[in-house]
Amino acid sequence: MIKEIVQGMAFTLKQMLSRPLTVQYPEEQKPVPVRHRGRHILHRYDNGLERCIGCELCAANCPVGCIYVEAAENDPANPVSPGERYAIRYEINLMRCIYCGYCAEACPTEAITLGPQYELADYRREHTVVTKAELLESWPHFAQSRRPPSPRGAGADQTGREEIDPGVSPRLAWDLVDARRQSGQGPHAGDLGIPADVPTVTEPGTTRDNA
Amino acid sequence: MTQTPAAPGPDDGRVGVTIDGREVRVPKGTLVLDAATELGIHIPIYCAHAKLDPVAVCRMCLVHIEKFPKPQPACATTVAEGMVVTTNNAEVTKLREGVLEFLLVNHPLDCPVCDRGGECDLQDFTFRYGPGTSRFPITEKVHFAKALPLSQHIELDQERCILCWRCVRYYDEITGEKEIVLQQRGVQTLVTTFNGEQLKSNFQGNLPEVCPVGALTHREYRFRARPWELQRAPSVCPECSYGCNINADSRDFEIKRFASRDNPLVDDMWLCDRGRYSFPQWNTSERVRRPQLRPRGGEQRDVTAVEAISAAARELRAVVDQHGSGAVGVLGSALNTNEELWLLGRLARDVIGTPHIDHQLEPFEKLDPAEHALGIADIEECDALVVLGAEPEAEAPVLTLRLFKAERKRGARVHRLDHGADPSRIASAVRGAKTIGVIADETNRAHAARVAAAITGGAVRRLTVTRGVNGRGAKDMGVLPGLAAGYRSAPSGKHGREILEAAASGALRALLILGPNPALETAGDVLQRALARADSVVVIDSRPGVCAGAATVLIPGHAFFEKHGTVTNLEGRVQRIRPALPPATPTPTETRVLSSLAAELGARDWDRGEPSAVNRALRAALAPYAAAGNGGRATWVAEAVA
Ligand code: SF4
Ligand code: SF4
Ligand code: SF4
Ligand code: SF4
Ligand code: FES
Repeated sequence: MIKEIVQGMAFTLKQMLSRPLTVQYPEEQKPVPVRHRGRHILHRYDNGLERCIGCELCAANCPVGCIYVEAAENDPANPVSPGERYAIRYEINLMRCIYCGYCAEACPTEAITLGPQYELADYRREHTVVTKAELLESWPHFAQSRRPPSPRGAGADQTGREEIDPGVSPRLAWDLVDARRQSGQGPHAGDLGIPADVPTVTEPGTTRDNA
Repeated sequence: MTQTPAAPGPDDGRVGVTIDGREVRVPKGTLVLDAATELGIHIPIYCAHAKLDPVAVCRMCLVHIEKFPKPQPACATTVAEGMVVTTNNAEVTKLREGVLEFLLVNHPLDCPVCDRGGECDLQDFTFRYGPGTSRFPITEKVHFAKALPLSQHIELDQERCILCWRCVRYYDEITGEKEIVLQQRGVQTLVTTFNGEQLKSNFQGNLPEVCPVGALTHREYRFRARPWELQRAPSVCPECSYGCNINADSRDFEIKRFASRDNPLVDDMWLCDRGRYSFPQWNTSERVRRPQLRPRGGEQRDVTAVEAISAAARELRAVVDQHGSGAVGVLGSALNTNEELWLLGRLARDVIGTPHIDHQLEPFEKLDPAEHALGIADIEECDALVVLGAEPEAEAPVLTLRLFKAERKRGARVHRLDHGADPSRIASAVRGAKTIGVIADETNRAHAARVAAAITGGAVRRLTVTRGVNGRGAKDMGVLPGLAAGYRSAPSGKHGREILEAAASGALRALLILGPNPALETAGDVLQRALARADSVVVIDSRPGVCAGAATVLIPGHAFFEKHGTVTNLEGRVQRIRPALPPATPTPTETRVLSSLAAELGARDWDRGEPSAVNRALRAALAPYAAAGNGGRATWVAEAVA
């Protein structure tokens, strides 16, 4: 029995003298592995042009549908990305993201990757929807953001998010997805993708009560 | 290979063919391609198009047919009795792979930025029938112009063109305008406009739909959405009374494009640019959103829909009590659905008891349902067609394509005449024709009637191009002075302009306006005075405008793409519209507002006013609508049924 006590105490003593594994987070932080899948990054080319071409393939591949992309046409004199098309809006709902990396896999230009950032908690749920300005790699010669003014103009706050006027269609990915959920995929659920190339001969029916 | 000739049946004009071991009997003259489609066998095509004549230039559809020494294009080979076709053997697979490999040699890797990506035949067929790899080393491709605007509507990417000729043939065969050509030859062949001019056609918007790839795209739809995100609402084009079928494709509660929805009886899959590119107006956020009371001299305040409806009923009842029911004027609109207009007519005549109801400004005298007897598809059956003035084709542009089809396919003579043309001269011009169609717009109806009367020696049928998407429905539903629903005679009343004038002079004390009514807003000054003078102006409207601005009771309405209902086109075809967008207001839909208003005014037998229930009641009351169902023609004269 004495032997066992000595053995136990020896182990304890050894551990007492070894360096602890824990760190004083958040003052101290450990490096994350290079292939860590944390918050996304939108990359640039070396000349500063954005890699993202707004093709929405990441959004199409995302299993949870948390990416929202709106594309626009490049001004050839002052392009945002090489080619004709760029993303004028790019939002990811991090609350819904499962950090699977499928978006990075789908991207034809390697514009999006999952980065080392893992501190994603926030006091407000809206803030967990990150915008293009937040996701984009900063670049010395670029203005902090090339994010254009909201297409709807007035009503947008500093983050570019718009106030939701009651009765106005919601615009932000966050609200959009929720609104769609609640209304069961919108007013014409089920019509999507069905080639309606013949005169419809169904009865007028109410799929929805507008009241 | 064993040959299995289908047993020759009775001579019913059909022949039996065997495709991939399955037999089918199809009419003589059917293309192998269509016979295969009948069996559900897919044959990839590029140059073939259901509405264009075969040219067999792309060789994508090559199939093996027994007894033919070489593979045959399915899109240009007609079936013969006992023909045995194979579409799924190694030979055909190899041919398809070869064609695709060639097409891709110089095709750019644009799919991620190409508007066609996701609904592109080149993508789809490469995925389904392609070789998977290319044997051509990665060398520089042949380059042409990209993002070349051909007009304000159309963008051309010459690199993406697969030289199927469809666009060229569309201009040759469908519109006759010949604006696009293929230049150069061999690998340098490129699609361009004649002399590099801008496109001028009124039907350019069909090009991107005809093009199987992303070479021709819409400028208005450029990078707006990916096809897989679009929510599709089969509806009707709201721009004119022709009633072309469309799919209103929306993304994130915004309509991004109108796509054609082939109805061979109406649009034949072609849309005009005015209609196709009219979609942005439905995305406007300038909307009437809240019910409001704005008593004359009092303070304006937001109320609930229920309060607004009671207030409207109170005001209308007060006017009726004081000045009689004839002091109320009721105005509908050609943008309303049949259900709304039917309720509005009943509300005016049966509940309020006023004969003053109309949907447009001008009087519409001696309305005769026979003037809509000529159906759109019947135009092709006519030997001669008389079009009075430029207005019919300006108001319903797709009519032009139907006339061109009648000319090209059937050899019909189309006489485009001045509206003042002498009826007897027209009659002599069409002498000898067995079936004659006379087409005019609403202002030239009377002249068209004289022309029709002057023509002897042939069956004459008339078509009047009505104004507004549901102008015909408004007439059928009796939103007219002196004519109740179903063209039953009713006590005569004032027409639109007279209603406004009477209100401006104080003879009418209340106005009930169901909008939006762009025609009404053209009345200008008299409208302003009428609205200012009337004691009560009850407006149900979706857009803030002159009427909504002057309302004493304002009730938000639903826009065309926010409600269910039916509209009737100029030939009487009753077609369904469906919501593509969520309503901009929580107020009940117009049919329910009108029903509640009727109930408040003392009507006992009205139900809640669900569009479907109203539609049922409407069809129970109007036999032609019951017969038309959804998609059929409501005909009011025996002759038109022929
Ligand atoms: S990591 Fe996965 S869940 Fe998150 S955005 Fe990318 S694809 Fe979507
Ligand atoms: S991140 Fe990549 S996949 Fe997503 S839109 Fe941009 S380019 Fe396309
Ligand atoms: S035309 Fe089709 S295959 Fe060509 S780039 Fe566009 S989507 Fe891709
Ligand atoms: S532009 Fe389109 S429709 Fe015209 S030839 Fe090229 S691929 Fe065919
Ligand atoms: S589709 Fe038959 S040859 Fe082009």
